[in-house]
Amino acid sequence: MPPVKTRPEAAGTNGPRHIHQFVARLAWGDAVGNQVRYLQSLLRSWGHVSEIYAEQWDDSCREQVRPARDYPREASRDSVLIVHHSFESRMVPMIARSPGRKLLVYHNVTPARLFEGFERKVAIACDAARAELLAMREHMDAAFAYSRFSAEELAAAGYRHVAVLPFAIDWSCFDTPPDATLQAELDDGCANILFVGRAVPSKRMDDVLRVFTAYQRLYQPRSRLLIAGALNRDSPYGAFLLGLKDLLGPERVHFLGRVSAAQLSACFSVATAYLSMSRHEGFGVPLLEAMYRGVPVVAHAAAAVPETMAGAGIATLSRDPMEVAQLLAVLERSAPLRTQVIDAQRARVAAFSQDLVAEQVREALSACFEGRMPALPAPPEPARVELICPGYSLRPDAPMSRLTRALASRVPGARVLALRPRTLAPRAAPGPEHIDGPPVWHFTADQPVGLPAEPLPGSSAMETAARASSAPHVYLGVDTEVAATLLPLASAPAWGARSATEARAEGDASQRLGARLFELAPDSLDATVEALLQSLSSRGGPLHERG
Amino acid sequence: MNADDLLTQSPTAEAVAAHTRQLPEPDPKAQQALREALESSTRTPVAAEWPTLLQEARGKMDSRHAEPATSHRPGVGPVLVAVKRAFRFTFQPFINEMLRRQVEFNESILDALATVIENQREHARTQAQWRRDVEARLARLEPGPKGRGATKR
Repeated sequence: MPPVKTRPEAAGTNGPRHIHQFVARLAWGDAVGNQVRYLQSLLRSWGHVSEIYAEQWDDSCREQVRPARDYPREASRDSVLIVHHSFESRMVPMIARSPGRKLLVYHNVTPARLFEGFERKVAIACDAARAELLAMREHMDAAFAYSRFSAEELAAAGYRHVAVLPFAIDWSCFDTPPDATLQAELDDGCANILFVGRAVPSKRMDDVLRVFTAYQRLYQPRSRLLIAGALNRDSPYGAFLLGLKDLLGPERVHFLGRVSAAQLSACFSVATAYLSMSRHEGFGVPLLEAMYRGVPVVAHAAAAVPETMAGAGIATLSRDPMEVAQLLAVLERSAPLRTQVIDAQRARVAAFSQDLVAEQVREALSACFEGRMPALPAPPEPARVELICPGYSLRPDAPMSRLTRALASRVPGARVLALRPRTLAPRAAPGPEHIDGPPVWHFTADQPVGLPAEPLPGSSAMETAARASSAPHVYLGVDTEVAATLLPLASAPAWGARSATEARAEGDASQRLGARLFELAPDSLDATVEALLQSLSSRGGPLHERG
Repeated sequence: MNADDLLTQSPTAEAVAAHTRQLPEPDPKAQQALREALESSTRTPVAAEWPTLLQEARGKMDSRHAEPATSHRPGVGPVLVAVKRAFRFTFQPFINEMLRRQVEFNESILDALATVIENQREHARTQAQWRRDVEARLARLEPGPKGRGATKR
């Protein structure tokens, strides 16, 4: 018989504290849903009244959830609402009118560009989710993220009281006995390469297929690829994946679809290595799951992946399938190396022991529950002009970096937004760094920065910082990923410069900027600076002196 | 594999890179064939525009708002137009609510159609690629001026 749901009593000043959670969709088996359920059990074990409110939910979660529209009525001034944000929810008005304190837990939102060409609707929803992140800022008393990579974006969005929360994992979920039939079928002497995740473009299962093909053709013909996770064969990306499999022609590729806990255990029990080529992870639970189950991990070091792995397993900055295949080959062939990797992974997993994490979560949240927020220094003065030059610190001698330096020295109150060099870890609180003059705010790139000839990757944190600022934008380089993302979205007036030596950024940037787009010839840096300054100082420009 | 491209502490990046250098060198022909296959499998992202076939339907998706009010009647025409406008202005919130589910349905069905069209495009692209690949293989096998085993006829 299902448990009888009763309406939680409105929180009063006496008795247990009411700490509830909101999630746009409560799903079975996904990382956010598991985290919400685990936090609920922690909150209840600490003596709080805790319910989960959601706008949508899976059928299997029906008994665990209350409709989000009821929350404003059921909450009181003493209630605390923990809002989990990872996708568009359309619930910001509900959150705004709800009484009580509110805390944000940011799981990160996949950059829309990773869905382009495959999932138009999802890409739009991802952009909307980032707009919601900005819209929720004024309603939140504190904000938490599960990685410094995500915390950096929260700080960039203007959230105060940002902290990194340790990820709570219920390891007992991974101790399910393996499905004996599947285990016997797969344990036939083949080297099994495993990936777990939904077939969405951001997970780059196409790259997993490419790496596996290289591995099978060059190093281990007796190998098998296991992909466990929902695959929609009717979606464009599903069709692309199946077509790619036919084109590349690797043997023994198994798309298992959604699997049960026992089947997943069977997959891990026979896996030679876990391979992830995902371009975006806010944390990356399957990486730790593989570590817990003693399977060596090879992963592309994008987004929060290096932080989650923390030196355990093998994270690679390379996306070359033939190079990544070498890593799979050495893990299979060298037993001492494999043992060393597994030992390091076990040490990493030990840092996430449940008691330790529960205590850390309690420490991090209790101050917010009780309203004891530390005083913060005054925020820095808002910039007068945002100079957006992703390559400023990475490629200091590039024409756009030199133009940025020259412009920054002439524009008072300007700040430079740039990508962080790849050797430096993300910072939970980005701030100005004075390098050779102007204040530079560094942000972590979403993907590892490649060779000088390759285009620079985008940065969600930098894009959010620019969207949060009302100052005019000056794009020093309009053919960058950052400019391509921001130009259609940002409401601030914009100027831009493009390099004459590069391919002309035709189309979008030209149409959007019109006469505010200037060309930088190799020998005319000063002339371009003057032209930009003149345009910025003209009527309607940020440097125009009125009166 | 270059140690600079690896992030690992135990074993060190240098140790892993050294192990990769000890791997037996794969057959150059196999490497070249693989490189060609991998290159041909790359897919440049296509523009995120709606399929042309659906552009017109998309323009009519939102059925809540009618065409601008007009009248062909001489004399009373302007009065009728004013009345129509006043009616719509007054009742538009109710019209919106009545047609809300219709608009949602239109949106869903257009999304589904767009997905079907994009899926077909993806299949067509794969088939074209597959055909090119097969033709290239045939050209290598067949005797003739283009094939490797060219013989006199």
